[in-house]
Amino acid sequence: MGFFVEVLISGLMAGVLYSLVALGFVLIFKASGVFNFAQGAMVLFAALTFVRLLDILKDTFAPIMLSLLITIVAMVLLAMAVERMVLRPLVNQPGISLFMATLGIAYFLDGFGQTLWGSDIYTLDVGIPKDSIFILESVFEGGVLVASEDLIATVIAGLLVVTLAIFFQKTRIGRALRAVADDHQAAQSIGIPLNYIWVIVWTVAGLVALVAGVIWGSKLGVQFSLSLIALKALPVLILGGFESVLGAVIGGLIIGAGEKLSEIYLGPYVGGGIEYWFAYMLALGFLMFRPQGLFGEVHIDRV
Amino acid sequence: MFYREAGQFKTSYQSDQAVFPIFQDRIFVALWLLAAFVAVPLLANEYMFRAIFIPVIIMSLAAIGLNLLVGYCGQVSLGTGAFMAVGAYAAYNFMIRADLNPLICFLLGGLCATGVGVVFGIPSLRIKGFYLAVATLALQFFTDWSFSRIDWFTNYTPSGSIAVQPVEVWGFVFDSPLRKYLLCLTVLVIFTVIAKNIVRGRIGRSWMATRDMDVAAEIIGIRPVYAKLSAFAVSSFFIGVAGALWAYVHLGSWEPLAFDINVSFSVLFMVIIGGLGSIVGGMLGAAFITLLPLFLNQLPLWLGFNMSTAMVSHLEFMIFGALIIFFLAVEPLGLARLWQLAKEKLRLWPFPH
Amino acid sequence: MTITQRTLGSTLLKVDNISLAFGGVKALTDISFEVKEHEILAIIGPNGAGKSSMLNVINGVYHPNNGSVTYKGVQRKQMRPHEAASQGIARTFQNIALFKGMSVLDNIMTGRTLKMKAGFLSQCLYFGRARDEEIEHRLKVEEIIDFLQIQSIRKTPVGRLPYGLQKRVELGRALAAEPELLLLDEPMAGMNIEEKEDMSRFVLDVNDEFGTTIVLIEHDMGVVMDLSDRVVVLDYGKKIGDGTPDEIRNNQEVIDAYLGVSH
Repeated sequence: MGFFVEVLISGLMAGVLYSLVALGFVLIFKASGVFNFAQGAMVLFAALTFVRLLDILKDTFAPIMLSLLITIVAMVLLAMAVERMVLRPLVNQPGISLFMATLGIAYFLDGFGQTLWGSDIYTLDVGIPKDSIFILESVFEGGVLVASEDLIATVIAGLLVVTLAIFFQKTRIGRALRAVADDHQAAQSIGIPLNYIWVIVWTVAGLVALVAGVIWGSKLGVQFSLSLIALKALPVLILGGFESVLGAVIGGLIIGAGEKLSEIYLGPYVGGGIEYWFAYMLALGFLMFRPQGLFGEVHIDRV
Repeated sequence: MFYREAGQFKTSYQSDQAVFPIFQDRIFVALWLLAAFVAVPLLANEYMFRAIFIPVIIMSLAAIGLNLLVGYCGQVSLGTGAFMAVGAYAAYNFMIRADLNPLICFLLGGLCATGVGVVFGIPSLRIKGFYLAVATLALQFFTDWSFSRIDWFTNYTPSGSIAVQPVEVWGFVFDSPLRKYLLCLTVLVIFTVIAKNIVRGRIGRSWMATRDMDVAAEIIGIRPVYAKLSAFAVSSFFIGVAGALWAYVHLGSWEPLAFDINVSFSVLFMVIIGGLGSIVGGMLGAAFITLLPLFLNQLPLWLGFNMSTAMVSHLEFMIFGALIIFFLAVEPLGLARLWQLAKEKLRLWPFPH
Repeated sequence: MTITQRTLGSTLLKVDNISLAFGGVKALTDISFEVKEHEILAIIGPNGAGKSSMLNVINGVYHPNNGSVTYKGVQRKQMRPHEAASQGIARTFQNIALFKGMSVLDNIMTGRTLKMKAGFLSQCLYFGRARDEEIEHRLKVEEIIDFLQIQSIRKTPVGRLPYGLQKRVELGRALAAEPELLLLDEPMAGMNIEEKEDMSRFVLDVNDEFGTTIVLIEHDMGVVMDLSDRVVVLDYGKKIGDGTPDEIRNNQEVIDAYLGVSH
């Protein structure tokens, strides 16, 4: 029983990390109706920039703070560039064109990031403790072993989620973002400054990407495969619904736990490797029976 | 001056509906065919066949296939690699186990891809836009895994990769680059004609109607379900055959990674850059995507400085990404449209407008 | 405009107690009326009265919560749109539902889809049955193009045409199916007087030459009064009038609805 709980918890923790990446997607989708395929590339770019800056600035007085600051600036600049050169020319185009454009951004960012910073694997150390600790000792005999990294990640993710949820529901800008997601032209016609809103959204998504990048990076090392994590976020969104912050969290947890559990318990029967496609098949199932996910909205077409 | 329509009156609907209604276009196409079948064999060397012509031709076939689905019917697919893999592995299994004529095996490979396409397409019909993209992504990953884990597909080879002999049909062995080139070219020409015929008839129109407004299409009697399924079916067939050709004629030996998601993206880029909804576009896109890396590789040498291969690959990514955005924003109809504009300018030449 | 006396046939379409609601919004409440063969019926009413929804129900796009539609003697609760099409019902839309990526000719050709039977293989090779069919249907489509006088724009992509011409092309596509019942949703919207006269003439000619039964939604009272045999008036999803144009013109409830007397 203890083993099951351990696998479950480790899966849930992995799921939290998926949720972090998915959150970036949800933000952009909620606010601009665009499915940002480049989110993974953004995570990689943010992580790469941060880790290389850490190295370059390591002898200054506050390497972590400085690197963080500069990376944040970089993400803001990235958001502005994206708004200027991709979103503006493509305004009012069908969603599928925008999706393919973000595919273009992903490729570009991949190449650009690696041109700037090189393509080696970098270890990222921001002082997050890496040891494992025992928790829940009172519930289970001997306690359950979890990595403190994962625990910290969960806490941070939780804070992020709460902040974002409040942001969307309660603030004026949050409302404007939702209006933009619904109808670009209508939002423009009531005076919402589209360009400004988009820069904000992509910046926030960039910051979420940075957080995700730092956490993933310190866990796995910063490397190219980080951008492939974006692909994993897609099933999370299918499960949770594209527009739901809560959905991204729950979806991530389900996928994370599901992957680990199915790998451990079902894996031996099929030669392993279930992790590779479990998330996608689950998403496929959802697509057929409940395409809007657990918390998404159903769209009705008016003729 | 040369390229004028004046004086060419159509006296029947038949001549108006011909593929190349303008006489000069027919000459042009005849010249292209002449160049392809005669000039290239005489003038090209082995490297050019291997590195340029054969890959471009096979990828054109895949791109035309994908364009039928994405450009004409408006359904996004990120699973092109998977369909090519199905075509390749199916052809392999038919060759090994049933010992049939290779050409038949290629066609059967295509049909297997069609089967997978239809089976996959049926539940996906209610899904649109990027939901469908995610679904095809699922197919891609699942096929990757299947071909690596299920040993029956590779006939239990220990290494997991397959190596094949050159294609042999009735004693005639396609081992030289020239012969391979002519084989692929013939297949491409036949399939292009078929594609063009489908697209200008009832089925092609039903695809385009489904793409443009499926609610309206249903109201005039087109069933979007059948339209999408038929698009999936035909498209997968083309892509499956392309996959079989790619494996047998171009690669010679392969493993599942040869058909992974990067292939899917490549072909999608070919379709976007070449031009959505255009048969010629598929070919232009294939040529562009295949030639660009070669060009980038040579560029530093011409300009006299050194660039590592990793750098070249990064630059490639950046250029592809930028071009995708460029074409989507500026000319969604891609290179094909630019080509069309050039032809229209030519019709007026030497007059400015 | 004088209307030649039409001989009307038996009842072609009957709707009984149709109710339709979207969540809490009641689009239609208990609507019943009938349309005779060869008749021209107009559905009028203030915006949001449910007129388009009514057409959508007849056509199978919306499925009513209650009530039934009886078409050509067969009563059914709901139809899929393509079934409606194969039964001989065609329609146009308020916001133009043309296929923007195709030319005028191709758009109207799509209207012939149900009549084209050539198989897949024949299509691939474009010979024999497929080619003969294309030519045969092209002839029919050209007749419609002549009828609507849009010969000069037949190869133009419809996205490039002005609104009035697009509406004409949409009518052409509906006519291409040789329908028995034609549903027109605001065919004259956004047109000037000349265009309206042209469109009215087309509508009358279609009814005259082909005997097509027509149900149209229209806001221009002059057009309604001149063209239609009977008028059905909807307001807030309920039927408040059903009779000849003269009867409706003098109906107090109808006048109140249009002048906005508070309910």
